[in-house]
Amino acid sequence: MNNATKRGFWLRLYQTYGLTGPVSLVLGVAFLLVPLLPGEFPTIVAAEILILGLFAMSFNLIYGYMGQITFGHAAFFGVGAYSTALLMRALQSPVGQVGYLDFFLSLLIAMPVSALCALVVGYFCVRLTGIYFALLSLAFGELLYYLVFSWYSFTKGDDGIQGIMPPGIFSEVVNYYYLVLIVVAGCTVLLWRITNSPFGYTLRMIRDNQRRAVFLGINVRLVMLANFVLAGAFAGVAGALWGPFQRSVSPFLLGWVQSGMAVFMSLIGGAGFLTGPLVGSAIYTFLNAYITQFTVYWPLTIGLIILFLVLYLPGGVLSLLDKRLSPLKHHDYLPEDAAPEAARSGESS
Amino acid sequence: MPFDASALLIQLFSGLSRAMMLFLLSAGLSLIFGVMNILNFAHATLWLLAGYVTYSFYSFLTGIAGPFGLLLVPAIVAATAVMFGVGWMLERFIIRRMYQRELPEQVLLTFALILIISDVIKLGWGVENRRIFLPIEPMEIMGSYVSPYLFVIIISGMVVAGGLWWFLQRTRYGRIVRAAVFSREMVSALGINIPNIYAGVFGMGVAIAAFCAGLFLGIMPIGLGVDMDMIIQCFAVVVIGGFGSILGTFVASIIVGVVYAFSILVWPDGSLAIIFLILVGVLIWRPWGLFGTEMRF
Repeated sequence: MNNATKRGFWLRLYQTYGLTGPVSLVLGVAFLLVPLLPGEFPTIVAAEILILGLFAMSFNLIYGYMGQITFGHAAFFGVGAYSTALLMRALQSPVGQVGYLDFFLSLLIAMPVSALCALVVGYFCVRLTGIYFALLSLAFGELLYYLVFSWYSFTKGDDGIQGIMPPGIFSEVVNYYYLVLIVVAGCTVLLWRITNSPFGYTLRMIRDNQRRAVFLGINVRLVMLANFVLAGAFAGVAGALWGPFQRSVSPFLLGWVQSGMAVFMSLIGGAGFLTGPLVGSAIYTFLNAYITQFTVYWPLTIGLIILFLVLYLPGGVLSLLDKRLSPLKHHDYLPEDAAPEAARSGESS
Repeated sequence: MPFDASALLIQLFSGLSRAMMLFLLSAGLSLIFGVMNILNFAHATLWLLAGYVTYSFYSFLTGIAGPFGLLLVPAIVAATAVMFGVGWMLERFIIRRMYQRELPEQVLLTFALILIISDVIKLGWGVENRRIFLPIEPMEIMGSYVSPYLFVIIISGMVVAGGLWWFLQRTRYGRIVRAAVFSREMVSALGINIPNIYAGVFGMGVAIAAFCAGLFLGIMPIGLGVDMDMIIQCFAVVVIGGFGSILGTFVASIIVGVVYAFSILVWPDGSLAIIFLILVGVLIWRPWGLFGTEMRF
């Protein structure tokens, strides 16, 4: 009886919210409990997972929902990190302390600054699609990277900015972790609302058939630009959290390798799902943190794992889960391409 | 900073030699993308691997025959041949599975290759930088000194550019490669083994990069991380020139190389920023590049 209600609960959650429902619930509970694990290390890893996960989710707004890929998304992550770091630097006392109010003000500034940056970059990028969109965003990202890299008087160049200490209670790892958790959870809810709003469905229409969207009288470029700015803003929030977490920022946060990280977190987790990038971030960061303890050749190990995932698990980890669960969905109708697949996995289970 | 004629001339030579390096590296990238539609982020990492292979051949040869700069030539030839094989195998066993996939998955795969190849380098050669010191006397031009090796690079680059053009335009295989860009099915229906052609083109792209790595080794040190800088400049070159256009890649390399060399005189720290400013400008004005084919978006 008890078991049945439990199963009914998960099933209802899945049927109402799709995979996002159960996955966020499981992740949410797990992240709440992480600080109970012995030592600070798991908490640090979990904070990293959350911050990079938010960054990857913001990237997925462009990739998974709008169908364009960007290789320059880290620029907004980096701009967010730098605006917070620079403001904290300016506001802190001579001994390196910063007040609570100033700290939250510094965190808040990242969102509008990154959004503004994304507005300028996006204005040009959304005129293109496909590989040209990808390359123009890459070019802008690298331009910003080299600007931060070479503007020594303002950004300290490749030395980066050190000693960004969060104030008072937040200098404790656990407390900062819960701050990160609250912000990322809030952003995830916001992202869920956005992607399931009429705006979110317009994005999907543009992804699936841009021409049809134009015929319906939708200002495609404007919608794409708005989405680009939103994605930039959320990446900025992630960046703002990163600086005080690492106590430093460096230009490499803006580089294309960092952008590549968002791409493969989304793909590993499942770009078709809101929480996919978060799952991808968890897998990647966890591997990264723990493989280093066993071998110095972690890039080789991670590279081989990615190679395996790309070749044998396209669609990401969550799509595998979704395929198993999809017969349980009560569909009024099934999309034509989904029907045979659902029937097949229904037979096998 | 003296802005006299000889300094400018030397800057021009260094810019041109840099341009030829960029061309040799970008040509393979552009060719592979043009023929197979694969954006190979790992291209510069293969280039780096080739550099280490050349270094090993060179040390082996000088170990036998004593220090002698010209031994770099057989070392480069051997490394180029080896890297052709590596490229062939890579296409045959991994890249081949990615043709039907979308761009992000290709990127992810080549990213995995970057991680794997850099660790192979770390395993085989360690983490120290490598460089070959060639016993070459600098020669005097209008009161300034410049290494004649720069001219070797410039001439080699031009010879390869010409050879590549000749191969693509004038030979039977070149025609097949160009035809495969337009219609894979048609070429295949004519009884030509498309998979072999693709493996060959991939191997050739990597081999040209290997040749570039050997030349590079004689003038600058290589080490882990250099490939990341190079690949991004290669993208700049390939995009400015237009994907798949060898002529475009050549012209864009000269633009980027020379602009870089002269911007070092004006704003040393921002030279790379200037290159990406040019790239952004070109992409906004002509997204398909200077010599690419115009297409609708």
